[in-house]
Amino acid sequence: RSARRYVLCEVVSEDPRCRQCIEDRALGLAVRDAIARVHGDYGLACCSISFTVKYLNAYTGTVLLRCRKDSYRLLCSALPFVRYLESRAQRYPCLLNTLHVGGTIRTCQKFLIQYNRTQLLRLLQNCTNEEERQCIQKSLLSCSLTEEQAQSGDEEEDDGTE
Amino acid sequence: QNILTMCFSVGYSTVALNHVIDFKEKKQEISKPVSPSELFPSLPIVQGTSKKIKVLTRLTLIVSDPSHCNLLRSTSANIRLYDIIAVFPKTEKLFHIACTTLDVDLVCINVTEKLPFYFRRPPVNMAIDRGIYFELLYTPAIKDSTMRRYTISNAISLMQICKGKNIVISSAAERPLELRGPYDVANLGLLFGLSEGEAKAAVSTNCRASVLHGETRKSACGVVYTVKKPRKVEEEETVPACKKAKTQA
Repeated sequence: RSARRYVLCEVVSEDPRCRQCIEDRALGLAVRDAIARVHGDYGLACCSISFTVKYLNAYTGTVLLRCRKDSYRLLCSALPFVRYLESRAQRYPCLLNTLHVGGTIRTCQKFLIQYNRTQLLRLLQNCTNEEERQCIQKSLLSCSLTEEQAQSGDEEEDDGTE
Repeated sequence: QNILTMCFSVGYSTVALNHVIDFKEKKQEISKPVSPSELFPSLPIVQGTSKKIKVLTRLTLIVSDPSHCNLLRSTSANIRLYDIIAVFPKTEKLFHIACTTLDVDLVCINVTEKLPFYFRRPPVNMAIDRGIYFELLYTPAIKDSTMRRYTISNAISLMQICKGKNIVISSAAERPLELRGPYDVANLGLLFGLSEGEAKAAVSTNCRASVLHGETRKSACGVVYTVKKPRKVEEEETVPACKKAKTQA
């Protein structure tokens, strides 16, 4: 029975085009490259035993990574060193902000729902448009565990309103 | 200003803006700090709580000569306006003076080059007793690989002497993308040789304690914060002194 850790991160970037080009291969490469730079060949080998990008959300920039329990410290300590994402021969400088580390996907999902809820609340405060306000309030009220997958798709007008 | 916006979105509740004074020139006037209200018309609210984000001002003095320290002892009014004062010693004697006698809150540890002096235990222990914190920067580590090596080696040698107490990790970010969230910074502390509890403290409780230390420096001798709870009264004390001035929080 292999124990795993799931690391939930958020990709923060200034360039709005960066969000559209978030894809699992580019992100996996960027993270592996950061681990190689910080921990060298040993670290890279340890972490890539069971390393995958499990979930990606291009709208909100949420990423769920999976790794083994023995090597999650190596992974977490190398995440601050990710400086840019590279895809289609373009480099986009970005930040990876670690939100939560959990043992199962379900715990990370619960955390993500709460986090999205607080983010929506924050956006609600900055909203100037009445329609946007109602839209967000509706999404807030319909937050729940089963509807999480549908939820993450439709909210968030992006950082333009922040 | 963009950096501040990024800070808020990432989840920090208090930010200190740094103003660096270098003493290479002959005479330097310490200017008044930029008031935070000039930057933001209305401060945004911390994520998750309902309090506003505090923006503090901080002064860093790069000292390479003992005569520069006289500036700290002078009663220049502008120094009093800064919330936190930090000193960046360049020689061993100055490090000793900073830890033992100077009236500062933070002692910056150089991360960008090999330290010209080794840390010794007596001044470090005296600094810990006085409530002075040692500061490490992490942004050079993100930018450049050689600086990363110096950062880690200097940090680990500091840890061996001070056993991980009184450490504050801060960023010297010049661009918003060089900032990292609090959880990530605590993970960086693990790389520097701190244990997990110490690393989280380096980002949260130690910072708060140094801010309180700055406040005690501003006010008379000591500060007692009382928070009224329905039944009990909770007290939080900083810098023990012979006479305590009571201030209501």
